[in-house]
Amino acid sequence: MKSISRRKFLTTSALAVGTTLVPYRAATAFAESDQKKDITGHIFKNDAPESLWKWSREVGHYQKLPGKKVVCGICPNSCVLSENDRSICRSRVNKDGKLYTLTYGNPCAIHLDPIEKKPLFHFHPRSKALSIATTGCNFRCLNCQNWQISQVAPETVRHHELFPEAVVKKAKAHQAVSIAYTYTEPTTYFEYMIDTAKIARQNGLYNLWVSNGYINPKPLLELCQVLDAANVNLKSFSDALYRKLNGGRLEPVLNTFKTMHEQGVHFEMTTLVVPGYVDDPEMIKSMCGWILENLGPDHPLHFLRFFPRYKLDRLPPTPVSKLTEFRSLAMKEGIRYVYVGNVPGHEGNHTYCHNCGKLLVKRTGYHIPEYNLNGSRCKFCDTEIPGVWT
Amino acid sequence: MKKRNDRLIEIVVITTGISSVVTQLLVIREFLSQFNGNEFVVALILFNWLLLGGIGTMLAKMAGKGATTARLSGLSFLLVALSPLELFAIRELRAIFFIHGTSVGFYPTLFYTLFTIVPYCLVLGFALPYSLTVVQRLTPNYPGTRIYITDNIGDVTGGALFSFLLVIFLEPFQAIFFANLPLLIAAFVLMPRAKRRNAVFVTGVAASFAALVFGLSLERATLAPREGELAYYEESRYGRIEVHKAFDQYTLFLDGVPLFSSQNLTLAEETVHYPLSQLDTAMRILVISGEGGIMEEIAKYRPERVDYVEIDPRITEVQFRFDLLKRIPSLNVIHQDGRAFLQNTEKSYDAILLNVPEPDTFKLNRFYTARFYELAKKHLRPDGILLFSVEGIDNYLSDAQRQKISSLYRTAKTRFADILMLPGERIFFLCRDEPLNPDIPKLLEEKGIETTYIKGYFYGNITKSRIERINHEVMTDAPINRDYAPNMIRIMFSEWFSQYASSPDLFIALITILCGIYFILITREEFVLFSTGCLTMGSETLVIFAFQIFFGYIYYQIGLIVTVYLAGLLPGAFFGERLRKRGRQVLMMTDVLLIGLLLFFIAAVYVFGDRLPQGSFLVFGFAVAVACGCQFPVALYLRGSGQKAAIQSFSADLIGAAAGTLIASVLLIPYFGILWAAVALAGIKIVSLVLVRTGHEIHIQT
Repeated sequence: MKSISRRKFLTTSALAVGTTLVPYRAATAFAESDQKKDITGHIFKNDAPESLWKWSREVGHYQKLPGKKVVCGICPNSCVLSENDRSICRSRVNKDGKLYTLTYGNPCAIHLDPIEKKPLFHFHPRSKALSIATTGCNFRCLNCQNWQISQVAPETVRHHELFPEAVVKKAKAHQAVSIAYTYTEPTTYFEYMIDTAKIARQNGLYNLWVSNGYINPKPLLELCQVLDAANVNLKSFSDALYRKLNGGRLEPVLNTFKTMHEQGVHFEMTTLVVPGYVDDPEMIKSMCGWILENLGPDHPLHFLRFFPRYKLDRLPPTPVSKLTEFRSLAMKEGIRYVYVGNVPGHEGNHTYCHNCGKLLVKRTGYHIPEYNLNGSRCKFCDTEIPGVWT
Repeated sequence: MKKRNDRLIEIVVITTGISSVVTQLLVIREFLSQFNGNEFVVALILFNWLLLGGIGTMLAKMAGKGATTARLSGLSFLLVALSPLELFAIRELRAIFFIHGTSVGFYPTLFYTLFTIVPYCLVLGFALPYSLTVVQRLTPNYPGTRIYITDNIGDVTGGALFSFLLVIFLEPFQAIFFANLPLLIAAFVLMPRAKRRNAVFVTGVAASFAALVFGLSLERATLAPREGELAYYEESRYGRIEVHKAFDQYTLFLDGVPLFSSQNLTLAEETVHYPLSQLDTAMRILVISGEGGIMEEIAKYRPERVDYVEIDPRITEVQFRFDLLKRIPSLNVIHQDGRAFLQNTEKSYDAILLNVPEPDTFKLNRFYTARFYELAKKHLRPDGILLFSVEGIDNYLSDAQRQKISSLYRTAKTRFADILMLPGERIFFLCRDEPLNPDIPKLLEEKGIETTYIKGYFYGNITKSRIERINHEVMTDAPINRDYAPNMIRIMFSEWFSQYASSPDLFIALITILCGIYFILITREEFVLFSTGCLTMGSETLVIFAFQIFFGYIYYQIGLIVTVYLAGLLPGAFFGERLRKRGRQVLMMTDVLLIGLLLFFIAAVYVFGDRLPQGSFLVFGFAVAVACGCQFPVALYLRGSGQKAAIQSFSADLIGAAAGTLIASVLLIPYFGILWAAVALAGIKIVSLVLVRTGHEIHIQT
């Protein structure tokens, strides 16, 4: 048997090292790119239904481009659609060079919810909101609770027929004081939402927007004209995390908060504390700093407990102590009303006066057994409490 | 010298068998800890393993004249080194390819499993026919069947060693170390003395040994969670148990999935109070597995006795240790399969609370069938109640979820007069013969039982209209989920695929095309071996499935079935070798025997059910394996004992086994039920029989 020559040995070794290094280098490159992982959705080429349906309308916020292309103007995704393409949110299609929504008057979820469930703690407590949603979302959140409706096309679900007038009628019939556009991303059914909101306002109903805040300034300004309150997610304070966990960007969301603040819309912010991602105290500190600088101390902030859901199901729930810590941190930084959600019985469910510290609203779930406000003022020290109370 | 070398090569083949089976079982467990452990994924991993092994075997055709004992020895060192590296790669690369904390869908799982096992499986598949080539170069009349038998000896030893020793006492990298040490030594001895001072050889031995030793230090380092700390880790025979501590919260993970948390009050209240609030008295309660915090809630009813049944003693030990389960005065812990416990006990209960995961495996589906509900009802007092729950949101039910709850509703309805579904964190099913009241807070108030979540949130989250809506969603034509026809698995597959906006169609089309091409290229004898491999793995899946239905998931017995399946191949191959000259006749006889055995067994399962003695499953498995084992030497003889024929025969057997695993687990049983699965497997063998009957003997070796 011939022994291996030195030359052959060197060649073999070089080959062995090479074959080891190539996959290793590929893996490292992947690891580096992990920091930049981006789950932003993509346009669905040639995915538009053959013909439009009863629940289609030409949309307002878009631009026509040469070659029958269009660019959607509703959200920062700015989908450029060729003929028969479908937008990232799956709700908008280009038909014959015009942009149409497929979600006008066809909600797939309609429920009557306590307003505290949105959560909105400083807006007409104890009231009920008729909550509606069509399909669609411009994000791809890995922990989405409503993925069965947010991540599908409108024609694939069972839906109701409820045009704007009928929504308002239904809300009144159920003695709701407001209509909440919620569950999925209402920005994606903007036309349906805004037409309903206009009629609702004429009929003395409030309009609530529960959103990820990923909307362009122009439609947002239009919306603010009919909006009474909003709960907008501030999912994290990191653009990398926005791209990695949600498929969006941070900056446009921050702009939404600024615009709503300037427009005087009552809004509350929600941050889901995801273990291993949105649980860095330094990030929360920076976030609070930005809020204070740009929005002031009065907009309520909710820290919600995460539970494993959808695709993000291999993480533990958020430890309650972490939420308590973040609440203390945010209050210490100067935000006046900080709440803890998804933790029944937590002290952070209640509202305390930012001036005298006394209990204003005691909440046991959606019940309010103790209420110490006179109008919008603290019963004990007469301080004005931010929000819309009566 | 030649004989000594032959024997040394045989020892290398046996030790390779030991090493490869242990590595294979560890790799499957590792994948199940890293990915969703549904039946599709389990089948996919086995399929990939066998397929790559088959391809590796085909590649051995290229070995030809260059095959030497020294190179076989080197190949073995490579195999030893790849074994721990493969395990390490599966753990470490996951976080690189996928976002931490996420589960992934079908195609990413397919590609990841393929990517990470490619080096090991190709080398492993290559090694066996290469050994034959080497030994035939030394001893030209060395029979190919002998290598097959020798390999089987290693496989049986490895299987038994893993199931009854390594998995119980050792952690994965330790098991890898001990399972590969014999191969390392055998490969060292096989290397010609003159080569032992060769730099490449020394480097190879040192690198292989270093990889094994290095692996020992990686166990905990590769399992450390990114959030919090690893408070506890153990490999129980049922899976990987980890407890993660973050602040004051402990979460128990089983196979990478968070199962119980010390701070999930909502789920604990829902699980306990929804059913118990319905009862006048809740004195005797049976809990099958359970969320942290449930015992405190149960204690509010001051029961006389609470039987807590959990299959894995290690889990309850950990639950008590980390306060995930409170010891209340009336608690009695039973370590047994929940369904087997109900089958054997005489006790009756006021309430049975079932808290097992979703029915996405055969093992778990047993808790969601008409027969299980019948068992539960038998052990409930006349006004007793059964609770179980599944995942689902109540804002909107997707079609797959609607099918799931409809099938479960209709299945439970075959045994209980009233079923109430309550939406919430999960969808809860209350099953009882007495009327059920959905106003849980009112019932609790009447009993004077205090709760936090239900009192504060029930009326807002679980409104009358939401309850009505979900109960109206039931489809009247949904299939009943039965033991023998587990429709729920199919529905769970479709829910899983819809979650990842994916479909198995592309994969199925690709497999069908590849199979078509393969069938065109192979000979009749190879098809016989393909169908034999297919029937071996398919019938093994069927036998384990049926065994679990009747006797529960009993670890040792199932380990024994797998071992018997491997062990039966040995005497089979021995007989085949003796009878090979009768060629076609033997193939036909064994084909008829296999068809008869399969149909007879399924008929017996249907007629006798759980009255069948446990031993009959072993006898059947052994008989099938003997018949299958017998066919290999005969088919090989008919193909001619040349290197090429042997390699193609090995490949056909492996590729058939891959196909059998996949079609039995994900197609035949879930879609057609156990009876038709058996008929289909028999059908494949009938095709083989017809081919043998109509074909001509190609080559008769003298």
